[in-house]
Amino acid sequence: MTYDAVVVGIGVAGLTAALRLAEHGRRVLVVAKGVGSTHLAPGRLDILGYAAGGQRIERPAAALGAFLAERPDHPYARVGARTLSESAEWFRARLGYVGSADENFLLPTALGAVKPTAVVPPSAVGGDLRTGGRFLIVGLQGLKDFFPALCAANLQNAAPVRARAVELHPPLGGEHDVNGLGFAGRFEDEPFREAVVRELRITFAPGERVGFPAVLGLREAEGVWRELEERVRTRVFEIPTLPPSVPGIRMFESLRSALRAAGARIVVGDAVVRARTSGRRVEAVVAEAAGRTVEYSGESFVLATGGFASGGLELGSDGAARETVLGLPIAGLPPHGERFSPEYLGVQPFARAGLAVDERLRPLGEDGNVAYENLYAAGATLGGAEPWREASGEGISVATGFAAAEAIVQSTAR
Amino acid sequence: MAALQTDVLVIGGGSTGAGVARDAAMRGLGTVLVERRDLADGTTGRFHGLLHSGGRYVVKDPPAARECVPENAILRRIAADCIEDTGGLFVTTPPDDPAYAEQFLAGCRATGVPVEELPVGEALQREPRLNPRISRAFLVPDAAIDPWKTVWACARSAQAYGARILTYHRVVDLVRSGDRVVGARLANDLTGEEVGVEAAVVVNASGAWAGQIARMAGCDVEIQPGKGIMIAMNHRLVQTVINRCKMPADGDILVPIRTVSVIGTTDVRVPDPDEAPVTQGEVEQMLDEGEVLVPGFRRARALRVWAGVRPLFQETKPGLVSDTRDVSRSHTLLDHARRDGVEGLLTITGGKTTTFRLMAEVTVDAVCEHLGVKRPCRTHEESLPGSQDGGHYWLGARLASREPVPRSEQIVCECELITRRKLEEAIDRRRTVNLDDIRRTLRLGMGPCQGGFCIYRATGILHARHGVDAETANGSLLSFLQERWKGVHPILYGDQLRQAHLDDWIFQGVLNVRELAR
Ligand SMILES: Cc1cc2nc3c(=O)[nH]c(=O)nc-3n(C[C@H](O)[C@H](O)[C@H](O)COP(=O)(O)OP(=O)(O)OC[C@H]3O[C@@H](n4cnc5c(N)ncnc54)[C@H](O)[C@@H]3O)c2cc1C
Repeated sequence: MTYDAVVVGIGVAGLTAALRLAEHGRRVLVVAKGVGSTHLAPGRLDILGYAAGGQRIERPAAALGAFLAERPDHPYARVGARTLSESAEWFRARLGYVGSADENFLLPTALGAVKPTAVVPPSAVGGDLRTGGRFLIVGLQGLKDFFPALCAANLQNAAPVRARAVELHPPLGGEHDVNGLGFAGRFEDEPFREAVVRELRITFAPGERVGFPAVLGLREAEGVWRELEERVRTRVFEIPTLPPSVPGIRMFESLRSALRAAGARIVVGDAVVRARTSGRRVEAVVAEAAGRTVEYSGESFVLATGGFASGGLELGSDGAARETVLGLPIAGLPPHGERFSPEYLGVQPFARAGLAVDERLRPLGEDGNVAYENLYAAGATLGGAEPWREASGEGISVATGFAAAEAIVQSTAR
Repeated sequence: MAALQTDVLVIGGGSTGAGVARDAAMRGLGTVLVERRDLADGTTGRFHGLLHSGGRYVVKDPPAARECVPENAILRRIAADCIEDTGGLFVTTPPDDPAYAEQFLAGCRATGVPVEELPVGEALQREPRLNPRISRAFLVPDAAIDPWKTVWACARSAQAYGARILTYHRVVDLVRSGDRVVGARLANDLTGEEVGVEAAVVVNASGAWAGQIARMAGCDVEIQPGKGIMIAMNHRLVQTVINRCKMPADGDILVPIRTVSVIGTTDVRVPDPDEAPVTQGEVEQMLDEGEVLVPGFRRARALRVWAGVRPLFQETKPGLVSDTRDVSRSHTLLDHARRDGVEGLLTITGGKTTTFRLMAEVTVDAVCEHLGVKRPCRTHEESLPGSQDGGHYWLGARLASREPVPRSEQIVCECELITRRKLEEAIDRRRTVNLDDIRRTLRLGMGPCQGGFCIYRATGILHARHGVDAETANGSLLSFLQERWKGVHPILYGDQLRQAHLDDWIFQGVLNVRELAR
């Protein structure tokens, strides 16, 4: 069968594009080699946290104009301010999150550094540092991926807050090394929660907001968090920590169920390795799995295969780079030997390498023209951004996934 | 200014200096060892990790080969735990001159390097990833040696015999009284404190920096630093040390070390031993040479690249060449009394880690001569701490030690199987706040993920130790990340680029370390 749209990749960009297309009534297939960065990242929407010069941004939408004046090749310049805000609002509503492109929260990381983020789950909001206050950061013995004392000490230096730390000793049945997912499962047990709350009440001082590592349940997370707030009678919030990311997995599951409910087909485990094309059209993508080859044909295609981190783009040991499905050219690639600055936190010229696209997010070929008229790209495959320096990664994925879907809907209007 | 008095002051905490300090202390001499950074942070911690059988030198430099033979056997005995008995192969690959193999065999026989020719099929069975087109293979007693363990074991042994070890103490000047060196002025680079040491004899064992130290006493020692790069690949591509059977050249040895294997090396003159940058050309050269030994090499992940600096000594003083007490061509012992008319100063430089014990022996013999005492060397008789039971290190050792109690402890570094308790012990024992010191002590963050997961944890654990504030812990984290980046950015491609991005995700995306660097 021929799908209206085939989306390659199931990270935030692929999920967004596919869900938007399904919402428009299109028959959608999502095919992916495996899950994407959702399982690593905090499950929040960073839109624009830092200006080109490194200053922290409080109001992303308002700062966008000045930012794009310095970054004309940025993906945000392709989608425009309106779509950026609309996509953020759509994402917020779809997930039951809080926030918008207008304003950044200032939230603590597990190190106790501050992080500007625009759209977040309700269980993150209590950590907003902009309003000051007193914080109790809670560690869990047995979880090696969260250090409350370091987090609290750094927070006090970074924001006008008072923060202290406590480590609780939840019942782990003799285990000493439990990861975030293991704790998330345990938090869904009533007796475990009871033990945590009991111990917490002893040290908790009224008026303190309580920050936990983001492991408060997986499937029933919302209920777990609300119950903790009620029982401790204060604001409780979650601080994301090392992968596997519990809030990232929650977000993934939530978008995937929405996608299924909207009638899309999802195939995870098939690696798309090439495409069948005819002239300036892509006819089908070809996937390999378990020793067989499958073709998926469609009217339109979205490449949401991720950047160099996810395998959507590839850099060879000889210094040559390419997009991995269609061999599209990479724009903005600095010369071999000058790609990385010796300063880890310096400007990394390589960061901005990626696909160049037209205003409808269609990748450009070697000749500078649109490579295929029915092929679109979204997310980290796109060049022109420095996601880490800007704190813009998820924002780019949602905005371009959203915009790619709109472009497909318009060009194939029925 | 604090002041110390001693018989022997040893400058340099590499294998040579640590060996000299141990030997001197074992002969009952009052000994102080000073190192400007951490022990084995100079060339010794940046070398190739090969305990030479001597095979590499049998044709080009037979005296060096002859030295390696007994020293290899002695270190296997006294430093057993620092050594993995991998064995070594010399293989003739297609580009190599086949005639060299016969010269090699003859050289081994002449110098006493134990050698056995293996049928090619057997060699390939032993090392299935090896280039199947090799035409000959020879087995020799090469091995892998851990520099940090070795140097620390020497230091601990020296301490047990009364020596003092001062790390992060930099020699800023030598003190002369007339034509005699009588001591040194040190700066503690952690506290800024100045320390004076009075010594009857000063041993300059500062490797590629030996010229700088000698100059402080007014002696002109011309050292040409020669840089060599090495690249660690993400797993044990081979289990045996693999050498190309040809005249020694660049990129012709692959050494399996712990969880990785290391290809090397090059030899490029550099003006300053503290400035040894890795060039793209050298990286390409190593990958190409790796491809000759193990086809598909370029598709394996390159984890980290670094450079070590050889001291190349050239006697520039006309007519004095014969006075340098040149024990062999591989190392140099200079007696500055004879050479420059400056009493109380000896310089020992060059050589190899494989022969460090011998270098220490001849040096301390000269020290004894200066002090007018006669005491025999015993370093070849007594095992180093940790090696007394004579068992070699083996790859599964850490796993085996954890297996009886699999879930009883937290693992902080999954790649190198380091438990939280081990990490805490090391932080306390080393009394350090520098995660790079801990890296060298435990191999923390040296495995395939290069600290992606463990370094945040180690930072948190460091901060939780007594008296370490958040700023110190943050600083240690940031400098670890910077050090790591130095070794990673020249080799980012393929899957290792993906790994680096995963680490960026953690440190920049999740933790936002950038805010701590403001
Ligand atoms: C690329 C390369 C690969 C090698 N591979 C091998 C191998 O596989 N097998 C082998 O056996 N040998 C190998 N070698 C040789 C071996 O590494 C060296 O011979 C050995 O490490 C030298 O030890 P050292 O103690 O003399 O010097 P170093 O280890 O360099 O020690 C000198 C010390 O002096 C310190 N210092 C300098 N200035 C001062 C100061 N002002 N105050 C206080 N301290 C100071 C430095 O910090 C340094 O730690 C290799 C060498 C290189 C360069």
